[in-house]
Amino acid sequence: MLWYKAWLETRSRFLTSLATLTVFCAVFVHHAQGILRPEWTPAYNRLLYIAQQYIVVLWILAVVLLGMGGIVREKATGASLLTLSLPVSRALLLGVRVGVGVLEAIILAVVPWTAIFLVSSHAGMPILVSQVGFYVLLLVAGGLVYFAMAILVSCLVEGEYTAPAMAFGVVFLTIIAFDAWLRPLNLWRLITGDFYIDRHTYLLSAHFPWLGALACLFVSAVMLLVSVKVVQRREF
Amino acid sequence: MTGTPVIQTRDLTKSYGGVAAVRGLNLSVEPNRITAFLGQNGAGKSTTIKMLLGMVRPSCGDGTVLGKRITDAKENCEMRRSVAYVAENKPLYGYMTVEQTIRFASSFYSDWRTNVAKKLLNEYKLPLQRKVKSLSKGMRTKLALLLAFARRPELLILDEPSEGLDPVGIELLLQMLVAQASQGVPIFFSSHQIAEVERVADDICILDNGRLLVNASLDHLRESYRRIDLVFPFAPPEYEFQIAGVERIHSQGHEMRVFASKNAEAVIEHARDLNAVSVEVAPVALRDIFLETVKEN
Repeated sequence: MLWYKAWLETRSRFLTSLATLTVFCAVFVHHAQGILRPEWTPAYNRLLYIAQQYIVVLWILAVVLLGMGGIVREKATGASLLTLSLPVSRALLLGVRVGVGVLEAIILAVVPWTAIFLVSSHAGMPILVSQVGFYVLLLVAGGLVYFAMAILVSCLVEGEYTAPAMAFGVVFLTIIAFDAWLRPLNLWRLITGDFYIDRHTYLLSAHFPWLGALACLFVSAVMLLVSVKVVQRREF
Repeated sequence: MTGTPVIQTRDLTKSYGGVAAVRGLNLSVEPNRITAFLGQNGAGKSTTIKMLLGMVRPSCGDGTVLGKRITDAKENCEMRRSVAYVAENKPLYGYMTVEQTIRFASSFYSDWRTNVAKKLLNEYKLPLQRKVKSLSKGMRTKLALLLAFARRPELLILDEPSEGLDPVGIELLLQMLVAQASQGVPIFFSSHQIAEVERVADDICILDNGRLLVNASLDHLRESYRRIDLVFPFAPPEYEFQIAGVERIHSQGHEMRVFASKNAEAVIEHARDLNAVSVEVAPVALRDIFLETVKEN
């Protein structure tokens, strides 16, 4: 039932984000259909690449919001005493929250791109499944770092507005800082596909960056482990 | 008092920075008893309960609840399976409905009694489909109590359970407490409502400034605490009454009032030796015991 609690806690944020992303994607394709026909192929691929930039922005916004909450936030409302009186460990409490959050984050990546794929096919501008899969994998593998970071912030900061403000601040600063000094390691460019896009065809042409994805998953796992330690040490 | 204590602490201490919230607490709560935990606001009652349930780490000392060490996360988690707890302010999840809250809570405990939950639901007139955040404070308290009473725990810990309840609700609560205790469930509860405590409690613990000042049965307190009003033919010297058990002396003119936690007979005998013209001995109500104890401290 911890899954049920995590779902109830996040469902309005999740459904709002899902609706926003899906509607954005559908409108984007519909708009593209109006301006591109009949010579659409390369230009449309370029538009899809641009769409991924917008999806990434909205997706990061959504997963950071999904990462908020949990027992540290509940401390401020008093509900943490009920949660902590349950016969479950704090690690499990956090683990379930992360599990539900990751699942929601994956759905938030898959559904918008599926919408793009379906609407494009329906509009007579079919796109390659491999391209869709590439974009989704980049978004999930790389983007989970932002989700893990949001979880970590939510374990450190209990304010209803302070925590998301700090999380968004960290996201913004890391994007700026990495782009200025460590561009090859800039997560933003990895997720958006900037490193892998062919500038002539606007197709993601290279092989999927498994090493980069694994590195992102490792960083996420480390942040989540730190979050568990923080929550275990915290007093309520 | 018999059996292994359901709660036992040894030098349990909690400090926040330089401020000690609980100091060297040696608490013992016996099985099959209703134990009231009294203290002023900020005395350390809630901090103690939180330490017992593993929500706050003790600065030093240790303790056991149902034989499980409170400082061991695994044992504490195991212990919580057998303990029903109602927190101060009755925290619940505002985004859940009453029905969802009951379904959620019941899933964690094998001792959940669906029939009791239904009975209480009817008794408390809780609206199943209403979101918890839109319930009144009294309704929230009733829901929190339902979550505890619908179980058959090995120990009930209640932090100010009557807070927010109307007189009818308080009456129902007290009846529930007595009923639970009669089924062999030990109850440890904190309260500011001394009249209620006096009606149901078997044992009394008084905490003040983080120190445990009293840990005794209510009967024992009633038997040993006495207020002795004395009248002398002269202004009585207070130092003559510095006897073990005398907690407070108040004298005015030829009159003296002695508040004794024990040894009342010795005080009376000594007063007679000093030619007291009047000696009146009266039992002391729990309210006065509490007030005198914390005043003295």
